[in-house]
Amino acid sequence: MKLMSLEFPLGNSILTAVRLVTGGICARVGFDLDETEDCKVCVTESLLLLSRRGGKNVRVLFEQEDNLKISFESEDVSVAREEVPEEEISVALLSALVENLQIFSEGHDMRISFGIGKL
Amino acid sequence: MEEKELFEQYFREKSIEARNQIVEKYFYIAEMLVKKFVGRGVEYDDLLSVASLALIKGIDRFDLSKGVKFSTFITPTITGEIKNYFRDRSRLIHLPRRVSELKANIKRASDEFSAREGRNPSVRELSELLQISEEEIVTAMESSAPLSLDRAVSSEEDEEGENTFLDLLPDKNDAFEQLEQRDAVRSALKELSKEEQTLVFFRFGKELSQSETAKHMHVSQMYISRMERKILEKLRSSLKESLAE
Repeated sequence: MKLMSLEFPLGNSILTAVRLVTGGICARVGFDLDETEDCKVCVTESLLLLSRRGGKNVRVLFEQEDNLKISFESEDVSVAREEVPEEEISVALLSALVENLQIFSEGHDMRISFGIGKL
Repeated sequence: MEEKELFEQYFREKSIEARNQIVEKYFYIAEMLVKKFVGRGVEYDDLLSVASLALIKGIDRFDLSKGVKFSTFITPTITGEIKNYFRDRSRLIHLPRRVSELKANIKRASDEFSAREGRNPSVRELSELLQISEEEIVTAMESSAPLSLDRAVSSEEDEEGENTFLDLLPDKNDAFEQLEQRDAVRSALKELSKEEQTLVFFRFGKELSQSETAKHMHVSQMYISRMERKILEKLRSSLKESLAE
C-alpha cells in the first residue's frame, strides 16, 4: 500500500524536512523509537548516497508491506561510484540496518530500495 | 602502509603498536558512524567509546583470507554494538553487570569445554574452570533478561495467548486469603494434644523424617506414621469447617 511519495531537489537544507516526514510515517505505521531513529538514519544515508553521486532531484516512495518499504530514485546522477570512496561505508551501514537492500545504477539513473522494521 | 600489510604485521607480531596503527587508520569510521546515531539521549563521547571498543575488538576478529575490506567488515560490527548499547540502555530493569558478565563467561567456558570434551560441562566442572562457587554458577545460569509484564503468556492453558504475565500476578485479595488460611491452621493446631503438637513440630517444623521424629519422641516409626495420619485427618476436617464458615 502506497503511503506517500515525495519529489524534491537534493540538498542538505531539505534533509531535516525529509527526516521529519520519515518520523511521521514511522509513527503512522507503529514503529517504536529505535526503529524510527534507524529509519531516519537510513533515509538520510540513502539521500547522501544519491547526493554524493551528483544527483540533483530525487523521488522517494514510502510503501507499507510486511515492513516499511522505501525507494529512492534519481535520474540525474553524474559521478561514478569509484569516485565516491564513502559509498562503501554507507552501503555497509544500510546493509546492517535494513532488509533486502537493492542499489541499481546505470548511466544517469540510480535507484535505492530497502525494507525496514516489522509491521 | 596498505591494509593487507598492516593486518599481516599485526597478526604476525600481535603487538599493541601494530594494533594502534590499524585503530588510527580506521578510527574515522567509528567517528563517522557515531555522528549518525547521536541525538538519541546518549552522549557523543559515550557512543564514541562504544564504537572505539567495537573497532578494537573487530580488529582481532577480522579475517584477511575472506577477501572483504576491513571497512566493509567493521561498519556493521560497530553499528551492531551501538544498537546493542541503545537496546541495553532502554531497558528499565537491568541484570546486574556482574551477573551479565558471569553469564557470558559461563557460556564461553561451556562452549570451549564442549568443543574439547565432546559433552556439556557439569556445574562443578564450570565452577573449577571459572574459580567461582557452584551456587554463583547456578544463579547466573538461571537469570535471564527481564521480560515485560505486558508480554503474552504462551502456554498450553492459554492457547489464545491472551493472558499477560501481569494477569498472572496474584490479586491483593489473595494475601488476605492466605492470612485467613494461616489463622485457620493455627486454630486447628491448638485443638491437637501436646503429643500431637510435638509430632507436627518435628515433622513439619523441623522437617525431620518419621524415623528421626520417632527417636526424638521415644516411640516407634509405625506409631508416628499412624499418629501422623490421624493428625492430618483431624486438621483436614477442622480446616474444612473453619474455611466454610
